[in-house]
Amino acid sequence: MSQAKHFFEKHRKLAVLIGIGILIILPQLTRSNYIRGVLARIIVYATLASGLNIINGYSGQSCLGIVGFTCIGAYSGAILTTELGLPFLASLLITLLLCAAAGFVVSLPTLKLNGMFLSIITLGFSEMMRLTALNWQKLTNGPLGIKGIPNVELFGWKVKSGAPFYYLALVALLLVVFILNRLLKSRVGRAWIAIREDQDAARSLGVKVSHYRCVNFMTGAIICGTMGVFIAYYYRYVSPDMFSLDEGFNVLSMCVVGGSGTLFGPIAGAFVINLLTEGFRFASEWRMVMYAVLIITMMWVRPQGLFGAKDSVIAGQMSFWNFFAKKNKKKEDGDVNHIGG
Amino acid sequence: MYIIQQLINGLSQGSIYALMAIGYTLIVGVVGLITFAYGEMVMIGAMSAYLFYTFVCPNFFLGILVAFASSGIAGIFIHKVAYERFLEAPKHISLLCTVGCSILIKNVAQIAFGSQGNAMPMAFETKPFYLFGTDLYITTIHLAVIAIVLILSVGLSLFLHKTRVGLMLRAVSQDKMASSLVAINVKKVTLIGNIVGTGLGGVAGLLYGTYLTNVSTVFGTVVGLKAISACVLGGMTNIPGAALGAVLIGILENFGIALFTSSYRDIFAFIFVFIALTFRPEGLFVFQFGRKGKGGKKA
Repeated sequence: MSQAKHFFEKHRKLAVLIGIGILIILPQLTRSNYIRGVLARIIVYATLASGLNIINGYSGQSCLGIVGFTCIGAYSGAILTTELGLPFLASLLITLLLCAAAGFVVSLPTLKLNGMFLSIITLGFSEMMRLTALNWQKLTNGPLGIKGIPNVELFGWKVKSGAPFYYLALVALLLVVFILNRLLKSRVGRAWIAIREDQDAARSLGVKVSHYRCVNFMTGAIICGTMGVFIAYYYRYVSPDMFSLDEGFNVLSMCVVGGSGTLFGPIAGAFVINLLTEGFRFASEWRMVMYAVLIITMMWVRPQGLFGAKDSVIAGQMSFWNFFAKKNKKKEDGDVNHIGG
Repeated sequence: MYIIQQLINGLSQGSIYALMAIGYTLIVGVVGLITFAYGEMVMIGAMSAYLFYTFVCPNFFLGILVAFASSGIAGIFIHKVAYERFLEAPKHISLLCTVGCSILIKNVAQIAFGSQGNAMPMAFETKPFYLFGTDLYITTIHLAVIAIVLILSVGLSLFLHKTRVGLMLRAVSQDKMASSLVAINVKKVTLIGNIVGTGLGGVAGLLYGTYLTNVSTVFGTVVGLKAISACVLGGMTNIPGAALGAVLIGILENFGIALFTSSYRDIFAFIFVFIALTFRPEGLFVFQFGRKGKGGKKA
């Protein structure tokens, strides 16, 4: 185990290239269009989880209602395409601007408060967006949803569902991970991480906390919103119950299981969760129960996620092994204190 | 006339929300962590009262006891799973645990009892009283709801201010470290606070079911969000503030229905909280001079 880890640390670039290679080959390994569709959905969800990871993993806030932005994105994509007949890229661009504006508005009330308020606000926001989509009959066609979204067309190339859509989504995922990687190495990313580790210390070093938190939230919102367009094109149908709170917890559990605060955690989490839910399709209504148990177990045993580091701030010294180690350590500390005090 | 009738309806609905918000604020204050499983506690109270009414006897006061007890037991479960180990860990861990508990309870309840609406059996006769010879009326349900909420809030206030356990609860909500220094068992006291809070939520669930004459396993989420909103309006740890905020939300909702359409009803509370948090982040009813926003920032 540790040798493998050592290898990965030594040949990081090679490992990433191998990973990308596997992702490229993956849909060619099967002939079934169903499995290719599932793989495409996994990639879309992995991107969504990466977007959520920007907020939850890198700024120490917990956003629970990311699906609200996906809802905005999916509906704007669907409406722009079916009503106005705009091409894919144009609707993607307009959605991006729309989600940036929405993210800015949602982050406004929480900038001066601690992270818990953001979870409340976003939870309410997500539910608000779903209810609006349900009730604004004229624009969204209410509970019936919008049907008849065409296939993606890029520069005259018709992207069919299945493998071609998978590659389109993969391009989006790689783009997001690349941008995220560059961002994290820049001034902005360092500011985010500083805020996550200690907000007051960051402020005392001259980091504009509310500014960077706003930027952080908007970045996450933009990515999740544009993935909404992908979701609309993937299902070729949008309806309000695709964006319930449970869906938000679904994305969140991917982020948490894989390890928030790491680049590759959300992708791994998306694979794990989606394969689990596909595998347990027969257990229809018990699936959500499984999620719940999985989230709780993950929090008890490995709060930093599968990919997270043991000493990560996200884990907070609460991982399973640290729990026992800490118990023993505390005893020693106590003895020392007694002697000294 | 119509407006005044809406005011009466809003007042009684708001007082149900107030009971939830009081319980929620108690939990947030004592445990120091936010819970997202509260709506499910409300649902458990309503469902257990419904089952008790249908299978044992439709007695209002016994129903209240049953709702309190069953939600309190569920509160112990939440405490064991989500709080006990994580009191000093980063807050998002216990927050995610409560989200997990919420999904778990909701789905298990749906598998066990289905997600359809059930007609709540009435424990007492519904009679309208007409006021001053006009067509304004107050039903016995309105009166019972407001009376129970008032009795419970006064009881809680006495419990917090006159008993030894109440003193411990207040001490723990102020400072966990200091109260453990004066020999208060913090884990036990947070457990008690959690049980009382969730139990009050359960009673609120019973009242909500009686008020709407309908219970189901799915209404928990929306109701829980309203309790959270009211708690935020009150400034997170301020019990009277939360109750006031809840009454305000209830009245606003009913006016919203009267002015716009009823399908947007669940949105009004959130919009209100949005606006309130933008302009008064320390809570609507916190009037503190000097160090501003202490209550809001601490939670």
